Amino acid sequence: MDILQIILLAIVTFIFAIDQFSLTELLYRPIIACPIIGIILGDAQTGLAIGGTYELMMIGNMPVGGAQPPNAVLGGIVAMIFAVKSGFSVEEALGASIVFAVFGQYAVTTTFALMSGIMAKADKHADLAEPKGIAQVNYISMLILGGLFALFAVLAYVGGTAMGETLQEFSEKFQWFMTGLGAAGGMMRFVGFAILMKIMLANDMWGIYFAGFAAAAILGNIPATSGATLLLVAFIGAAIALYDYNTNVKIKNLVGNGGTSDGI
Amino acid sequence: MASNVTAYKDLTPAKSLDKATLNKMVWLSTMLQASFNYERMQAAGWLWGILPGLEKIHTNKEDLSASMTHNLEFFNTHPFLVTFVMGIVLSLEQQKADINTIRAVRVAAMGPLGGIGDALFWFTLVPITAGITAGMAIDGSFAGPILYFLITFGVQMGLRFWLMYWSYSLGTSAIGVLTKNAKEFTHAASMLGVFVVGALTCNYGGTRLGMVIPNGEKPIIVQDLLDGILPALIPLGLTLMCYTLIKKKNWSPIKCIGLLLVIGIVGGFLGIWPGDYKTVIQFPWH
Repeated sequence: MDILQIILLAIVTFIFAIDQFSLTELLYRPIIACPIIGIILGDAQTGLAIGGTYELMMIGNMPVGGAQPPNAVLGGIVAMIFAVKSGFSVEEALGASIVFAVFGQYAVTTTFALMSGIMAKADKHADLAEPKGIAQVNYISMLILGGLFALFAVLAYVGGTAMGETLQEFSEKFQWFMTGLGAAGGMMRFVGFAILMKIMLANDMWGIYFAGFAAAAILGNIPATSGATLLLVAFIGAAIALYDYNTNVKIKNLVGNGGTSDGI
Repeated sequence: MASNVTAYKDLTPAKSLDKATLNKMVWLSTMLQASFNYERMQAAGWLWGILPGLEKIHTNKEDLSASMTHNLEFFNTHPFLVTFVMGIVLSLEQQKADINTIRAVRVAAMGPLGGIGDALFWFTLVPITAGITAGMAIDGSFAGPILYFLITFGVQMGLRFWLMYWSYSLGTSAIGVLTKNAKEFTHAASMLGVFVVGALTCNYGGTRLGMVIPNGEKPIIVQDLLDGILPALIPLGLTLMCYTLIKKKNWSPIKCIGLLLVIGIVGGFLGIWPGDYKTVIQFPWH
């Protein structure tokens, strides 16, 4: 066991964890991350081989639309540890790392849920006009996410595959809880929508809200249009909005010409 | 809370933002998802990104507070294309446009970009680049990862800079027309915004039930029944529930989140969510 390796591993994992959503959003990709882990563990060639293979596997497993697949970041890092340290083949290493990928997903779910709670703190800083507080909220979030990932990477390094089995047991027992947390996470955005609606939705706009819902329901369920659902929705919405704008401007000008302008 | 403020106190347009500030915000835009969360998604990262500009624009504290508050509402767009929304919102902030106008433009702009960005990056640029460079890496060459990074990062940053400057000048040049018919424009833009939020409710609402009630040869799939009534019925119902609680019962957002957390975890215990997991007690529908 090499202390320097552990420290370096924790640091780069911390960075990759943040990078999967912020920074470059590229460093965390296996083709880059695995060779870097390989250099740290003293076997860059294995890193290149696993990284290249994993990258090809990941095409089609993109972080699209906020969905969280088993976490490839932690999966790749831990696969590297098992391949270099335990001498596993690429397939064996990837297989043994799956449970860590699941825990990577848990770490993401937990962070995203926790950060929903901390938004109240952000609201307070916004109300008091404190830019530093907003930066702080962002730093806290990155610290939680990076810290959790680094912890699991170090566990994999120190505990090896035995740790994987312990985590597997733990995961099976509490999967219902994490599934529930994930489901709750998926519902929390409705609070965000509700806040926007509270502010934007004048009483004459309920029809527009349901029309938007219907448009997305239709376009989103047709294979040929589902990829561009929101863009197409925006086209329809823009047409309605432009029509509304032009009509109201015309009415205003007519009223203005009639001499009853009240300065609105 | 300053969320009921609809106009800034100081209505004198601020000076145009200088290049250094715009560039700083382009770099900060990479931190859009730093505090991603389930409630407001990229909101805090979005606000962090435009703060250098907002601080220059709103020199009095009350206006800065109002601006920060409304920019901390739900926000979600494609991370690589966010500077487009930034530029246009900053140009409106700089002209001290009505807060409702700024909000409506922001909501209307953020939605459609998500799909465009995914198609552009995750389905086109990244797979093609990976296809070329992964082979080099497997053959043991460091040129693979380095080339991969240079191409994807270069395209991404180029686009971020270009979109920021383009949309900032676009917003500035359109402002004259907008302010002449400000009230009409705000109404129209709010309509588009509400339309988009309606679409997001359906499009981002992934909440589904996984219950299957045993019924001999033909088990009853509960979600199929619901889809037969209305697709995305649960997301719509939950959104309207949160709206009612917040608007009519004066619930705070955090209280709503607490409620959803309870629903989620109790649901996990009862095994009503889809997925391959073991519940503590065996339920007939799971």
